[in-house]
Amino acid sequence: MSQQTRQQQPSQEPIDLQVDTSRPEPGTPEPGSELAASDRARRMITRLLRVAYPHETFPDGPYQRTAAAVQEAAGSNQADDRALARGLEGLDRAAGGDFLALDDGAAEALLRDRADEYFFRRIRSTAVVALYDDAEVWNLLGYEGASFDKGGYLHRGFDDLDWLPAARVDEYDGGRRVELVEDREAAR
Amino acid sequence: MSAVDESRARTHGSPIEHTEPVVVIIGSGAGGGTLAYELTAQGVPCVVLEAGPYLTGEDYVNDEWEAFNQMAWLDMRTTSGGWRVARDFPNLPAWIVKAVGGSTTHWSGATPRFMAHEFRARTTYGEVEGASLLDWPITLEELAPYYDRAERAMGSTHRHGRPALPANNNYTVFANGAERIGYRHYATGPYATNATPYDGRPASIQDGFNFQGDKNGSKWSTLVREIPRALATGRLDLRPNCQAVRISCAESGSVDAVEYLDARGDLHKQAARAVCVAGNSIESPRLLLMSASAQHPDGLANSSGQVGRNYMRHLTASAYAKFERPVRMHRGETMAGIIADEARHDTSRGFAGGFYMETLALGPAFLASFLEPGAWGREFTSWLDAYAHLAGMWIVGEDMPRPGNRITLNHDVLDQHGLPVPNVHFDDHPNDIAMRGYACSVADQLYGAVDALAVHHTPPYPSTHNLGTCRMSADPQDGVVDRWGRAHDVPNLYVSDGSQMTTGGAANPTLTIVALAIRQAEHLCEQMARGEL
Repeated sequence: MSQQTRQQQPSQEPIDLQVDTSRPEPGTPEPGSELAASDRARRMITRLLRVAYPHETFPDGPYQRTAAAVQEAAGSNQADDRALARGLEGLDRAAGGDFLALDDGAAEALLRDRADEYFFRRIRSTAVVALYDDAEVWNLLGYEGASFDKGGYLHRGFDDLDWLPAARVDEYDGGRRVELVEDREAAR
Repeated sequence: MSAVDESRARTHGSPIEHTEPVVVIIGSGAGGGTLAYELTAQGVPCVVLEAGPYLTGEDYVNDEWEAFNQMAWLDMRTTSGGWRVARDFPNLPAWIVKAVGGSTTHWSGATPRFMAHEFRARTTYGEVEGASLLDWPITLEELAPYYDRAERAMGSTHRHGRPALPANNNYTVFANGAERIGYRHYATGPYATNATPYDGRPASIQDGFNFQGDKNGSKWSTLVREIPRALATGRLDLRPNCQAVRISCAESGSVDAVEYLDARGDLHKQAARAVCVAGNSIESPRLLLMSASAQHPDGLANSSGQVGRNYMRHLTASAYAKFERPVRMHRGETMAGIIADEARHDTSRGFAGGFYMETLALGPAFLASFLEPGAWGREFTSWLDAYAHLAGMWIVGEDMPRPGNRITLNHDVLDQHGLPVPNVHFDDHPNDIAMRGYACSVADQLYGAVDALAVHHTPPYPSTHNLGTCRMSADPQDGVVDRWGRAHDVPNLYVSDGSQMTTGGAANPTLTIVALAIRQAEHLCEQMARGEL
């Protein structure tokens, strides 16, 4: 298909840089597409995200915020909005009526079957940015965020690794580096 | 446009009339920024057209995505070819900066030189099928004095008496692994960030945000060194938020002006005595192609058909290793760790050319996006869960130039100015694939030697090293510019960035771009003194 024509805005979000160009063309809205913005959709996406990005240490907050980001991204584009609604309906159908009632293993299996479907790929492209661009998540993962205002890590552990010996920082002074090995004979 | 941009839309430096033919430099990064300083310091008035805003250390933020949105070149681009970037990041072929200082504002700082044989790639590697290798028309001996000047300007550690940076945690893992598998040529540099105060700038505080612009100003960039010094000469007119869209030609065959759009989208024309194009290896050929005319029907300076071809991006692989105990790779200088043992050319490894291994750290936000694009599930999240226990390295190696790897104008997709966007086509050469496979296996050995629990190989992400699309050649049929970076076809048109590089070598390119720019400035001054420009 032809490449989409789109103008870049200065405020563009990084997730938009990863949009798959094989996305369906926008069309007329269909009945039921408002599902994508509903509370039930929010709960389904939150559940989907927890299954797709399982972290035992994460509370619900980061997943809920990410679900909101997924809905917002879909809402900005009619085709995405419809794809999300259809995708969620498909999950409910495949679950025998209620995706939310499935255990982790069954829910993951349904997602595995749909790994290449557009709605799930689009969810992932938004979620992988939103979920991990979150101060609460950084804290849980042991990432310390902005450091300049605290004087960097110069006096806060940039070199506190203690389970390996200190390593040489200067260049090797025991002989010149071989730059060019003309052939196997020369290498001997 | 943001309020910050608005307040800075005015001219910086000393105004130069649009009708005054001066040296017009397009781009203010490693090539353009250096050239501006070297020329104005010698008394030559210059106009610098910079497409991006004038951001400084105060504007930078310690936040990966926020900084990315602030600094990165996000104008629409398209991709094609077999490289995975075309699938994972179809509109982001390159991760470079659109701001005063160009990509020197987000570069990491590693400054290895090219090796002598890398200037003779065609002779040394022989005929490589499917590659358009060429020898450079210059040698290491010719460039060596300019490498010295560039290293002094940039304050490279381990060079000219500059002390080494201390080891951070990521380096300690990296260097111990290197030592245990028999490597010897590892160190925390050469690296253009101050270990101790130098050149009016402070020592590193190890804040870990090199890629987001260095708020502390310890890292060399043209933003903190060359641009302010050029402005202080009173001979530079720096115009941020100005996108060059066309270089025009006089009947004589010389170029005589540059047309550009300002922040409001108004078109201007700056008269030129000479034009130096330094917009990075995607924008530079795009501008030449957009400057097609009756005299130059296939694009300016493109009688060879080589403009835009031979696009190179280095190996751009990375590896992350997971350990039982904490590493905290995000603390400290991102890339202050280099192993040079594998940089040699040695075909017994199954490929031509060589590679460096360099420490690399990303925050969770970027790591999640780049570790394995599209991945999900427990295997993926286990890497994020182990974040504080990860060490990382980047692998930068020579990739083969190929005529089909090229920048073209995509007339089906227009940018915000209504101009055709650049399309970046890239297919890996078998040599690149062989080198990447070998490099990943030695990364496994290195981290295995310090008891890594697992190692993940990250697919190449959007290119930070963009090279070769207006290459230097001895024969005008083989390339776009001569040994000085001057267009074979046009006597007063120069290319001053990494697109003039004939081959990519294994080394990070910034030092070489700066050395070439210092040398080109000297040449320009000589030409002007002789009345030939």
